[in-house]
Amino acid sequence: MLGVGFTACGDDDDGDGGGGNKVSGSTLTIYSSLPLQGTSRGQSEAVINGERLALEELAPGGKLGKYRIKYVSLDDSTAQNPGTADEGQTAQNARRASSDKTTIFYLGEFNSGGTKVSLPILNKGGIPQISPANTYVGLTTDDPGSEPGEPQKYYPTGKRTYARVVPRDTIQGAALVATMQEDGCKGLTLWNDGSTYGAGLARNIELSAQQANLPVEGKERTDKNAANYRSLASGINTDCFAWAGVTGENGVQVFKDAAAACQDCKLYGPDGVAEEAFSNPAEGGVPADVGARTKVTVATLGVKDLPAAKPVVEKFRQKFGTRAIDPYAIYGYETMALALDVLKRAGDNANDREVVIEELFNTKDRDSVLGTYSIDENGDTTLTDYGLYVIEDGQPTYSKKIVADPKLIPKG
Amino acid sequence: MEAASIAAKPVSRRPGEVVRDLLSRFGLIAFLLAMPVYIAVKDLSSGEGITPLLNLLVLGISNGAIWALIAVGYTLVYGIIELINFAHGDNFMLGTFTAFALFGTLGLTVATGPLGLVAGLLVCMLAAMAVCSTTNVMIERVAYRPLRNAPRLAPLITAVGFSFILQNVGILWFGSSQFSIPNLIESQHVLIDVGGVKVRNGDVLAVAVTVPLVLLLTQFIGRSRIGKAMRATAQDPEAARLMGINVDTTISFTFLLGGLAAGAAAVIYALYQTTLWYFAGFQAGLIAFTAAVMGGIGNLQGAVLGGLIIGVIQNISDDRIAAKWTPAVVFAYLIVIMVFRPQGLLGEETREAG
Repeated sequence: MLGVGFTACGDDDDGDGGGGNKVSGSTLTIYSSLPLQGTSRGQSEAVINGERLALEELAPGGKLGKYRIKYVSLDDSTAQNPGTADEGQTAQNARRASSDKTTIFYLGEFNSGGTKVSLPILNKGGIPQISPANTYVGLTTDDPGSEPGEPQKYYPTGKRTYARVVPRDTIQGAALVATMQEDGCKGLTLWNDGSTYGAGLARNIELSAQQANLPVEGKERTDKNAANYRSLASGINTDCFAWAGVTGENGVQVFKDAAAACQDCKLYGPDGVAEEAFSNPAEGGVPADVGARTKVTVATLGVKDLPAAKPVVEKFRQKFGTRAIDPYAIYGYETMALALDVLKRAGDNANDREVVIEELFNTKDRDSVLGTYSIDENGDTTLTDYGLYVIEDGQPTYSKKIVADPKLIPKG
Repeated sequence: MEAASIAAKPVSRRPGEVVRDLLSRFGLIAFLLAMPVYIAVKDLSSGEGITPLLNLLVLGISNGAIWALIAVGYTLVYGIIELINFAHGDNFMLGTFTAFALFGTLGLTVATGPLGLVAGLLVCMLAAMAVCSTTNVMIERVAYRPLRNAPRLAPLITAVGFSFILQNVGILWFGSSQFSIPNLIESQHVLIDVGGVKVRNGDVLAVAVTVPLVLLLTQFIGRSRIGKAMRATAQDPEAARLMGINVDTTISFTFLLGGLAAGAAAVIYALYQTTLWYFAGFQAGLIAFTAAVMGGIGNLQGAVLGGLIIGVIQNISDDRIAAKWTPAVVFAYLIVIMVFRPQGLLGEETREAG
C-alpha cells in the first residue's frame, strides 16, 4: 500500500532550494510544462487553453479562497529538439518549480519520457504533479509494459506525488486491439517510435493482441532521423498496421511509407498522433488518402458520449474560435479543474503541499468533464473509456466510444 | 590521374604494394557482396525467391543515388582544399526548402498536368541549384578563404559553425518539425513491375537525374580548362599558382560545382521523400560524407560508389537485420573498408596522406 502523505521537506538535499512543505505568502503558483515547439505545439496549446479556461471559470479573477492563483506556462521542448520533451529543458523546468517557494502544483509533462525526468525532481521537492497526457504504464505501476525498477525509481521519497487524468496504456492498448478485432484484422504489423511512451504502448498492444489471438509480426523500432521507412515497410505482410509513437518522431513519414507499401492495410495510431500536425495535409500531415485509412484512439470521448463536456466545449469554441476542439483541450481543462478542486478541498491549508497531495489522492467519484472518476492509490484515474477517432477534413474526428473487453487488458 | 578525380596523383608503388592493393580491393569486393549473396542464397533456399532482395536493391540504389549526389559536394571540396565542409549537408537542406517554397509560388500541386509539372520542377531545380551554389561560394569567400593558411582546426570549426547557422536559418524558415509536402510525382507509384520487382517513380527520378549529372561533372572536370585547373590545384596549389592558375577562383568554382550538385540532390530528395525538416541536411550530410570517405574522398566515382553501397546496405539492414542497427551496420562496413583500404574503395593518396 502506498502512503500519500508527505513529510516536511526540510531535508531537501539536492540543492534545489525547495524549502518546507508550506508555501509562504498568499500566492500559489501552478506551473505548466509542455512542448510548445514542433509538432506537439497544437496539442500543448489546446491543453494550455483548456487550463486557462478552467482557471478563469473556477478561480475567477485568479482568486481561490484566501489565495491568489498564479499560472506560469513553461516550454519543455527546445528548437533543436522540438515536438517532445527535451530532457535538459524538462529538468530545468522541474528544478525551477521545485525551487519556487510559491509552487503548489506542476501540470505536466505531455510526454511520458519527460515525466521520467521531472517526476523524481518534483517528488524530492514535495511538489504535487498532474499530467494531462501521460499514458506510460511504468510511471505509476509495475503492470506489463513497465521496466524493471518502475515505478519506484521515480519516487525517491517513497511517497506518491503524481497523478494523471488519462487512462494508462494498458487500457489504450486494449482499446486499439478491440478496434482491430472489430475491423476483422487477421494479423498486425506493430512498430513503435522507441520512446518511453511508444515502446511501452507497443508492449501493451502486443500483450492485448496475444489475448485476442491476433498474430503480431514485424515488430520494429523506427528512427526519427531516418530519411524514410520504405524498405522496412516492404516487409509488411499483414492486413493491419499500427504505430505506437508521437507525430514528432517522424510519424507522418511512417504512415506514408506503410500506406504506400501496403495499400490494403488498415492503419492504426494512438493518441500521440491525434493532432493536426499528423492529420492535416495543409499542416504537413499525412495525405488525405492515408488519413482516410487511419483510425486513432484518444482517451477523450466525443461530446455525444460525454454530455458533461458540452458546456466546456461551447465555452471553448466561443473563447478560442470555432475550429474543431482538440481532445487535449478537455484534458487540459480537467487537469486544472482537478488541481483547483484539490486546493478548494484543502481550504485554508491549500498552501500546505503535504495536505494538497493528500487531497489529490483523496479524489473520489469526481464529477468532471471526462465523466465520474477517482484517483487510485497509484495516481491513476479510474476512467477506462477510450474514444475512436477517424480523420475527416484533416481533423481527428470522434467516431465512437470503445469499450475494451477486460480480458484484453494485461494484468500485473 | 583519373579524369574524374581531383585528388593528388598517386605515387609510384613497389610490385608488392600493388599486389597487396589488389588483394585489399578484391577482398573488399567479396566482403561487400557477402551480405546480399548470403541473403539471396537464404531466400532462394527458403523458397521466397530473389524478388524481395531485388526490391531492396532497387530501393537502395535510388536512396544511394541521392546520397551520391550530396557526396559529390564533399568530395570535390575535400579533393581541392582538404576541408570537410560540414555546412554542405545543411546547404543541401536549404535547397530542399527552396524547392518546396517554389512549389507553392509556382502553384505546383498533385493536380498540375505533366508538362506544367516538368517545366515547374525544372525551374525549381535551377533555383535550388542557384541558391545552394551561391550559398556555398559565399561561405567559402567569407569563412574559408580568410583561413586558407590558418591551422587546420580553424576552418574545420568554422565549417561546423556554418552548419549550425544554416540549420537555424532552416528553423526560422519552416520551423523545427518534420513536415509533409505535396507528393508531386507520386513518388511511390509503381512505374515498372517485372516479376514482382517494382520500380517506382521516385526511383527512376533519382537515378535519371544523378547519372547524367555525375557523368557531366566527370567530363567537365576531366576535359574543361577550369576542370584541369581544379585538378592542378588539388595536386599542388603553389605549383598551380606559379603556372598562372588563379587558385582562389578555382577553389570558388569548386564550391560552386558542389553547390550545384547539392541543389539538384535537394530537389530529388524533396520529390522522393516528401517529408522535409531542418535536420535532414545534417543527417544526409553525415551519410553522404561517409559515402565519400568509403568511396575514396576526392574521387567522384568513389563518392557515387560509396553512396550506392550505403544506400543498399541501409535498405538491406532495415529489412533483414533491424532498423535500429542500421547506422551501426553502415559504420561497421566503413570501418572494415578503412582498415583494409584507408584511402577508400577508389581513393588515391592525397597531399595530406601522400
